Amino acid sequence: MDYNKCASEILSAIGGKDNLASAAHCATRLRLVIADNEKVEKSVLEDIDGVKGVFEAQGQLQIIIGTGTVNKVYDEFIKLAGVEASSKDDVKKAAAAKAPWYKRAIKTLGDIFVPIIPAIVATGLLCGLLGGLSKAFPEMADSQFYTLLDMFSNAALTFLPILIAVSAAKIFGANIYLGAVIGMIMIHPNLINAWSVGDGTDLPVLWSWGFWDVHATGYQGHVIPVVIAVLLLSIIEKWLHKKVPEMFDLFVTPLVSVLVTGFLTMTVIGPVFSQIESWVLSGAQWLISIPFGIGSFLMGAAYAPTVVAGVHHMYNAIELSMIADNGKNIWMPIATAANVGQGAAALAVALKTRNKKTKSMALPASLSAFMGITEPAIFGVNVRYVKPLIAGMAGGACGAAVASIMNVYATANGVTGIFGFLITTESVAGYALTFAVSTAVAFILSWMLYKDPAEETAPAAEPAQEPASEPEVKPADSYDDSCVYSPLKGKAVLMADVPDETFASDVLGMGAAVEPAEGKVVAPADGEVSTLFDTHHAIGLTLDNGMEMLIHIGINTVELGGEGYTAHVSEGDKVTRGQTLITFDIPLIKSKGYPVITPVIITNADEYTDIRKAGCDEVTYLDKLIETAR
Amino acid sequence: MKEFSYTIKDEIGIHARPAGNLVKLIKGFSSSVTIEKQGKPPINATALMKLMGLGVKCGDTVKFTVEGDDEDAAVKSIEQFMNSNL
Repeated sequence: MDYNKCASEILSAIGGKDNLASAAHCATRLRLVIADNEKVEKSVLEDIDGVKGVFEAQGQLQIIIGTGTVNKVYDEFIKLAGVEASSKDDVKKAAAAKAPWYKRAIKTLGDIFVPIIPAIVATGLLCGLLGGLSKAFPEMADSQFYTLLDMFSNAALTFLPILIAVSAAKIFGANIYLGAVIGMIMIHPNLINAWSVGDGTDLPVLWSWGFWDVHATGYQGHVIPVVIAVLLLSIIEKWLHKKVPEMFDLFVTPLVSVLVTGFLTMTVIGPVFSQIESWVLSGAQWLISIPFGIGSFLMGAAYAPTVVAGVHHMYNAIELSMIADNGKNIWMPIATAANVGQGAAALAVALKTRNKKTKSMALPASLSAFMGITEPAIFGVNVRYVKPLIAGMAGGACGAAVASIMNVYATANGVTGIFGFLITTESVAGYALTFAVSTAVAFILSWMLYKDPAEETAPAAEPAQEPASEPEVKPADSYDDSCVYSPLKGKAVLMADVPDETFASDVLGMGAAVEPAEGKVVAPADGEVSTLFDTHHAIGLTLDNGMEMLIHIGINTVELGGEGYTAHVSEGDKVTRGQTLITFDIPLIKSKGYPVITPVIITNADEYTDIRKAGCDEVTYLDKLIETAR
Repeated sequence: MKEFSYTIKDEIGIHARPAGNLVKLIKGFSSSVTIEKQGKPPINATALMKLMGLGVKCGDTVKFTVEGDDEDAAVKSIEQFMNSNL
């Protein structure tokens, strides 16, 4: 296909470059913002060789071209139109690109971590609980039930690199399945589990070059190396997509991407990180040998950043050698101080923020940190806003200093946080004080320092990326912005369970249904009434976010001819979220023998990649009913 | 390009269910199909909301315009659908 020809035909069909406000593209479509829609000749557009479809949504003219070709057409298109430098979109992106690299890196890290937090929180809490219970009741650890639960609790952490890799692939625009493969390579069962590696010596050699041995160590629990590996994958994959002829693209690109990424990961990224890890280990051992609590103070502060860098996996080697030495594990109280410090900092964010999304993320993350699993709090909350991280580090430092001065020690290892009390029975008071000081300092500082960012939602929707030439990638948390909020009160049911073949088989579109408890339909969001049936039993809305929706009250109720229905709006009316659209008489409709169940249908379902009922059963007006993704 | 007109015999007209089924049928063809109700501009027959928005009633006449590689088959199927459902 001739990309240049396709691009120039598109440009002329939309009324030339003067009529173009901005141009972007996603995985399959050109997304153009047009100055005057009247000048667009849609029928001409649809006939252009290479154009698979044209529609308008979200204020954009979207031209479906297809994966693998859209970027090439786009490249030609912007050359011809000369819009790149001046378009609004680019200005915005250029502004984002001006942010310092570490800020973009931190934001990207947060964007990667946020979608997988539920998995980490679920297993993290279970992990903490189990750890605590098994220390309280030692005989429990031998039970079969424990073995089973233990498996549930550590699955997500054991396979964390796969979750990270998938999420990172989404953010970086790599194929998510190839991303998963890279994650799998990094924790392949043939490698030694990173958590069971002691001090770095005597490891089986994976590949020897004579002067440099690559050790067979896995990346269990690692974050940064995985992110770097997937970033590498995305760069290689995109470069290959551009260079490899289309007909070979499908098998050459994945093969070469995985091969090169895997090779570089195991031989370069991996060894560099294990070298840094052993330096961190010696540094940590040296630090805590400084007396008068100073060393512990510093270590308490440094602990969280080492978790961020993913180089904290050999700390249990320190603990084990301490226990073997004199039975006193003074490392664990420092780790506790650092962990609960991060937890308390996240808790302050949870309580102070007015952003519901941040709140719902920070609260469980904080709880999990108090139980010793800090990744959700650190990556999901504290690192994103930086100041809570620093507050947490300060709390950790103060708590660790207290622990050192009070001579707190544990008699075992493996748990921190709340459950740490079970293994610090020799110095309960000191441990409690450590805990309290760290929590208080971190909480107060974080409370004072944290402020809701002015524009939290807008930048969150745009992950840091190279301008324009990269596909538009939305992080998975864009889900929230695209939800359908219930226009009715009642019981939410799956569309498939609606007792009518036409609705259940998604002929009209996709969505969910509500068995109404009250006879009222409200607007789920701001928009316009595009269709109101004369019989008032159904209403079509075009929402401001581009969604087209049909709310159909009852089954076959067109036959009632309007009896029992009262419309409060008319066709063409602008409506606002929550405004009453139609009221209806449930007992009357039921007495005539019609089911009153009400399908809420997204009729332009083709434009979405995913539409499903939200996880709710009883809904009231404007509760989340349907989740979508484009 | 092919055109044909059809006068609705069904009492209720083109409401949600037949509209959905009609759109589904038409989407199965590669031809582009428009529907025109007298006095209104033609609409793309696969645009469900617009189709329902026409408010086609019993006795109304609608004009179908079909254009594409499989226009003959499409016209035949649509006529059959209209006759048996509307």
